[in-house]
Amino acid sequence: MEITTATRDDATILSVAGRIDTATAPALELAINKAIEGGTRRILLNFAGVTYISSGGLRVLLATAKKLKNPGDKYALCSLAAEVNKILKLAGFTTIFSIYPSEGEALAGW
Amino acid sequence: MPGGNASLVSLSWQPVPGAPGARIYPLIRKLDTTSSNAYLIQTDDVILLIDPGGLAEQAAQLALVIEECRREHDRPVFVFLTHAHIDHFLGTQCTPAFAHSKAAVFAVQETGAAALECGDGKLTQADLLGQIISPFRIGLPLLTDGRIDSCGVPVSRTFSNGATVSIIRKPAATGLAREQIRFGSGPALDVYHTPGHSPDSICIQMGGLLFIGDVLFAANPGIAGICGWDQSALIRSLDGIEALFADGGIVFVLPGHGRVIAAADAGLMFAAIRADTLALENIVELNRERAIETAAFAEDCMEQVNELFTIMAGRLYYVSYVLEELGEEDVAAEVSRLIKGDAIDELLEAFRSFADEHHKGSGVSIHLALKAGQVITKLQRSFEGAELAHIIDPALVQRAARLLSDYTTMLRGFCPPRELEECDLVRHLEALVTGLSVPACSDDDLLSSEDDDSTFTRLLLRRIGMQPLLSEVAFSFSAGEKHLVAPVDHDDLTDLVTYILEDLVGIGAAAIALQIARDGNRAIITLTGTGCTDSDFPKPKGGFLGRLCDRAGGTLSCAVDGKTREYTISLDGLI
Repeated sequence: MEITTATRDDATILSVAGRIDTATAPALELAINKAIEGGTRRILLNFAGVTYISSGGLRVLLATAKKLKNPGDKYALCSLAAEVNKILKLAGFTTIFSIYPSEGEALAGW
Repeated sequence: MPGGNASLVSLSWQPVPGAPGARIYPLIRKLDTTSSNAYLIQTDDVILLIDPGGLAEQAAQLALVIEECRREHDRPVFVFLTHAHIDHFLGTQCTPAFAHSKAAVFAVQETGAAALECGDGKLTQADLLGQIISPFRIGLPLLTDGRIDSCGVPVSRTFSNGATVSIIRKPAATGLAREQIRFGSGPALDVYHTPGHSPDSICIQMGGLLFIGDVLFAANPGIAGICGWDQSALIRSLDGIEALFADGGIVFVLPGHGRVIAAADAGLMFAAIRADTLALENIVELNRERAIETAAFAEDCMEQVNELFTIMAGRLYYVSYVLEELGEEDVAAEVSRLIKGDAIDELLEAFRSFADEHHKGSGVSIHLALKAGQVITKLQRSFEGAELAHIIDPALVQRAARLLSDYTTMLRGFCPPRELEECDLVRHLEALVTGLSVPACSDDDLLSSEDDDSTFTRLLLRRIGMQPLLSEVAFSFSAGEKHLVAPVDHDDLTDLVTYILEDLVGIGAAAIALQIARDGNRAIITLTGTGCTDSDFPKPKGGFLGRLCDRAGGTLSCAVDGKTREYTISLDGLI
């Protein structure tokens, strides 16, 4: 799994590529925590390159939602592959955070 | 001396209990299917090696120990096989110390001896495990028909390694054919014919040690049914072994794979194997073709299991998250414990890594099938199905449980159950989709339970955990006739339609239509998802869903056109 971090429109965008599984989920959590500790309250996870997410990965997404629930905080996912989208939808996660088709739509819509 | 609760120590010489002058050097391996344990015994007269194993490096290691023994005191070497499966001997084929008959004489029950002398790939399981064996000479065929007539009369034989042994056929007091072999004045070796796992299986006794080969695993999924396996012979052999224990004197049981077992613990194990064996009536033969089919089914199942377990764990995390938001941290923690998410992730990851290696070309199908069986057994222990079904969609939990059970059934040598019964498709599917459209717990139910804490908590959990699959999609149901009755497997059809609806919801269909119509004597069920948001459609799981539809009693096709995906289930025999 590879994570690249960028800043756009006052948001931190973490673009993730590869599998989010038992071995890699902690690295994702670390990268998100680092961004939050750096002061950002607007996080967009671009999952365009994510091919698989395990239950450990789902837990990281929920843990992030818990950290970004103050008024004004923003947290969303975008560009999900169909398989990953299906897992999030059927697990009920789409009611916790928004999922957008693209980065642009996320930044314009949240 | 080992005794009582003590056990034998691997890679160390120690006395053989009940056999003065004999010492044993066990090589106990971590349980696997590549190579058996090996047991070296030395007396003043002979060096005996029981089951050298399947790996050349193990055989070479044993050859070094034998060489050291012979340097101290040169004696003839005999190699006994508890049966002629390759994991018990293949390592010797490229180890010079065992390669010619003057170095070591092999002793195998006569059916196994014949198989080894002609290089039989089936009985030795070489074909199943993708190996090639070279035929080799068996100097001492055991329990031969030719010696039946001389029961009670010692027969003396001299061998190419210089040894002279005395063999005496004994009456089968325990129901097991028996021969006693003496290599001089030292302790004798008793050999019992215990077919079932294979036709040539034997148990070997010296003093208080009973070497049992693979009888412990003979009823295991993925082992029962291999070429030469025989249910009734196995039961007779188990009865005979039980009688051997009743005679007393056995201290340790030394299996072909895994740890040494104290005789006191072995009785219950044999009783369990007997019960398992009795349940294996009419299983199919586990040959190479069946192994390939089972491995393909394993991969399909594991892909689906992966998705279902991730969704189930995700649902539970979601419930836990909402409960924490509501200030119910204790209940949230309790809910999280119902599924061991990390353990499940690790198991699924282990299978994936194994399958990746398999596809790189080095693996054989039976190993992949067995690995899936091992993972599935552990998965079955990783979630509290009954408890979970009170919180998340029970259909999700039941489907996961059925998948695991279907695979185990297949691996055991049966076909997953398929019970075709007449079913009113219209009523059945209407009830199914209604259940997928309305909340499991209504607002009124929840509000009326607020005086009773435990009922309120239970209903609240259901309300949070069970989100109707079709609640956020424009869904329509139509049937050409009021009743359409066809023979189907009720559970499989339910699972199939649910998987398809999940697939359509998952790929973001804005609208889903389910239609049932008559086409001659066939019922046609069409599930159409339109306005799907994902232009990058994942490939429909034709293999898994196709097989499931076959078990449900029909055939399945899938067509994709732009943002529309359509599944068609065709069921023959409309009444």
